[in-house]
Amino acid sequence: VSAPRPTRSIDPASIDLSARFGAIDLPHPVMTASGCFAYGQQFAPFFDLRELAGLSTKGISPNPRQGNPLPRICETASGMLNSIGLENVGCDAFLSEKLPWLHDLGISVWVNFFGEDMDTYVECARRLDAGRGRGISVLEMNISCPNIKKGGIEFGTVPEVARELTRRCVEATRIPIVVKLSPNASDNVAMAQAVREAGAVGVSLINTITGMAIDVRTRRPRIATTYGGLSGPAIKPIALRIVHQVHRALPDFPICGMGGIASGEDALEFLLAGASCLQVGTANFAEPIAAVRVKNELRALMAELGLGSVAEVVGALEPLDPEPAFVAGKESP
Amino acid sequence: VPPTQFCARVVENRPLSGGYFVLDLKGDATADAPLSSVTPGQFVMLRPSAWDRDLLNPRAFSVLDVDGDDGFSVLLKAYGRGTTRMQKMGLGERVVVTGPLGRGFSPPRAGGPTQLLVAGGVGLPPLYLQARRAHAAGLHDRIEILYGGRDRDDLVLLGELEGYSARLHLATEDGSVGTRGFVTAPLVSRLAAAKAAGEAVEILSCGPTPMLRAVRHIGLEHGVPTFLCLEEQMACGFGVCLGCAVPVHGDKPYRYCCTDGPVFDAREVRWS
Repeated sequence: VSAPRPTRSIDPASIDLSARFGAIDLPHPVMTASGCFAYGQQFAPFFDLRELAGLSTKGISPNPRQGNPLPRICETASGMLNSIGLENVGCDAFLSEKLPWLHDLGISVWVNFFGEDMDTYVECARRLDAGRGRGISVLEMNISCPNIKKGGIEFGTVPEVARELTRRCVEATRIPIVVKLSPNASDNVAMAQAVREAGAVGVSLINTITGMAIDVRTRRPRIATTYGGLSGPAIKPIALRIVHQVHRALPDFPICGMGGIASGEDALEFLLAGASCLQVGTANFAEPIAAVRVKNELRALMAELGLGSVAEVVGALEPLDPEPAFVAGKESP
Repeated sequence: VPPTQFCARVVENRPLSGGYFVLDLKGDATADAPLSSVTPGQFVMLRPSAWDRDLLNPRAFSVLDVDGDDGFSVLLKAYGRGTTRMQKMGLGERVVVTGPLGRGFSPPRAGGPTQLLVAGGVGLPPLYLQARRAHAAGLHDRIEILYGGRDRDDLVLLGELEGYSARLHLATEDGSVGTRGFVTAPLVSRLAAAKAAGEAVEILSCGPTPMLRAVRHIGLEHGVPTFLCLEEQMACGFGVCLGCAVPVHGDKPYRYCCTDGPVFDAREVRWS
C-alpha cells in the first residue's frame, strides 16, 4: 500500500500561476465563460476586471438576435437550465460598442461566436476579423449551443461537419479559433481531433448539457423551449471526464476547461485532468466576483499541497494503485 | 447607487400570519450603506452564506423597509426549497446580499395624482415602502392602499399600512376580512368614483402575475397611468443571465425585469 502523497506547504506568494494555452500566455488560468458574463461591463461595479486572465463574451452572431420566450431559466439540483436563445447585439454593435471597452482592460478577450448555418458562421468569423489588433485574442466558435432550433446540432456532433465548418472559419480570419465543443457528442475525442486537423488552436470543454425540468402542478415544462442547457456544479463530473478523455488522447492540444467550476478545488481538478486554462460560468450569477475567488483559492490550495506552478499540475493526474488479483482460497501473507 | 455584494446578519426572523415572515438584516460594517437610499420596488438578491450546493442561485426580494445606514428588511413566504430554507434562518446567521438592483416606483407629489397601491401576497413590500416613504414625507394623503389575499391570514402588516395611507381597502377571497373577492373589484369601484369626481389617480401594483394582468387590463381600460412591479425568474439580478426577459411593445420584443424594471408602464408590457 502506497503512502499518501507527501505534501509540504509552500509560500502562496512563490507560486507561479501563469498559464499557457498554446501560444497564448495568461497571468493565471482563470477566465469567465460565455453567456455568464455578458460583455463584461455589468461586473465593473463589483471588481476590477483586470484581475481576470480573460473573459469569453456572450455569443455573437452576424446580426442581432432577440432571444427566446419566457420562462427562460429555472434552477435544478446543483444547477440551472437555460434557454436564453443566444440573444446578442450582433457583430457590428459588438465591434463598435462593446469591444473598445474590453480592449482597454488589456486582458485576453475571447469572442464567442456562432451562425445559423455554415455560411453565417463563416460570415461572422470574417466580420469579427476586424477586431484583430483591437482587442480580440481568440474567436471561440460555439458549435454546441442547444438553443438553436435547426441544423445546429450537426455542427456539434458530427466530426466531418465540424471539420468543414472549422476549416472554413479558420480560412476566414487571422484570429486564432478555439472550438467550444458539445458534451452531447458521442465521441468527444473524434470531435476534438477533427477541429484540430481543421486548424483550431484548442478546444473549450464543455458547453451546457441538454436537459429538462417539469412543473408537476401545471404539468408544463419549466422553460418555454421544453429543453434547455444544464450548467452549474451538477455537470462538473461530466465536464471533468470529457476534459480528461480529450487530454489523454490529444495531450498537446490545449483545452480550456469549464463546467460547474465554483472553487479553487474545482479549478485544480480541471487542471489535473488536463485543462490548460479555465472558465467560471454559472457561479458568476450568484457571486459576481466568483472567478477572482476561484483564482485566490487555487493559489491557497496549491500552496497547501506544495504545488509550485500551474505548468506542473496541468494533466498531472496520478493513476490509482492497482489492486492485487483475487485468487480463490489464497490467504493473506 | 451602483450595486454591491455584501454580507449581512439576521437580526430578527419575525413570523407573521399565513406563512409569511420578515427577515430583519444588518449589513456588515464594510458595506457602505448600499441600501440606505433604495427606492420602493428596488430589490436585492439574497442567499444564506451557508446555502448548500444543491441550492444554487440567490433569490430576488423587494426591499420591505430600510433602517438607518445598514439595516433593512425583506418579506418572504415559504414557498419553494429556497424560501423554506430561509424561513429557518436563526439570529446572527449570515446572508450574502447583492443590491440595490433595478428601478423602483416614482414617489407621490404634493397636489399630484392619488396613488392607488394595489398589492397582493408577497407583492406587498414595494407598496409598503412606497406608503411609508410617502407618510414620512407628509404625503400620506396621496396614498391609498388596496390589498388582497386569500383570507385574513394572508394579509400582513395591516397596522402599519393603515397608518401610512389615507385609506386602506382590504379584499379576501373568502370574505373573512374586507370585501369578498379579488382586490380588483374595489379597484374598479375606486376608479369609477375617481372618474365621477374628476380626480386624478394612478395605479402602482405588485403581486401575483394573474393579479397584475387583471390590474393592467383595468388600468388600461380606464385610461389611468398604471405601473406594474413584475417578478420573473432571475439567476443574477444585474443584467447578465438574461433569464428575466419581459415581453414588451416598442423597438425590441424584450426588456429585462432586473435592469429595465422591475417597474414597467402597463402600456409597454406585451401581455395578452
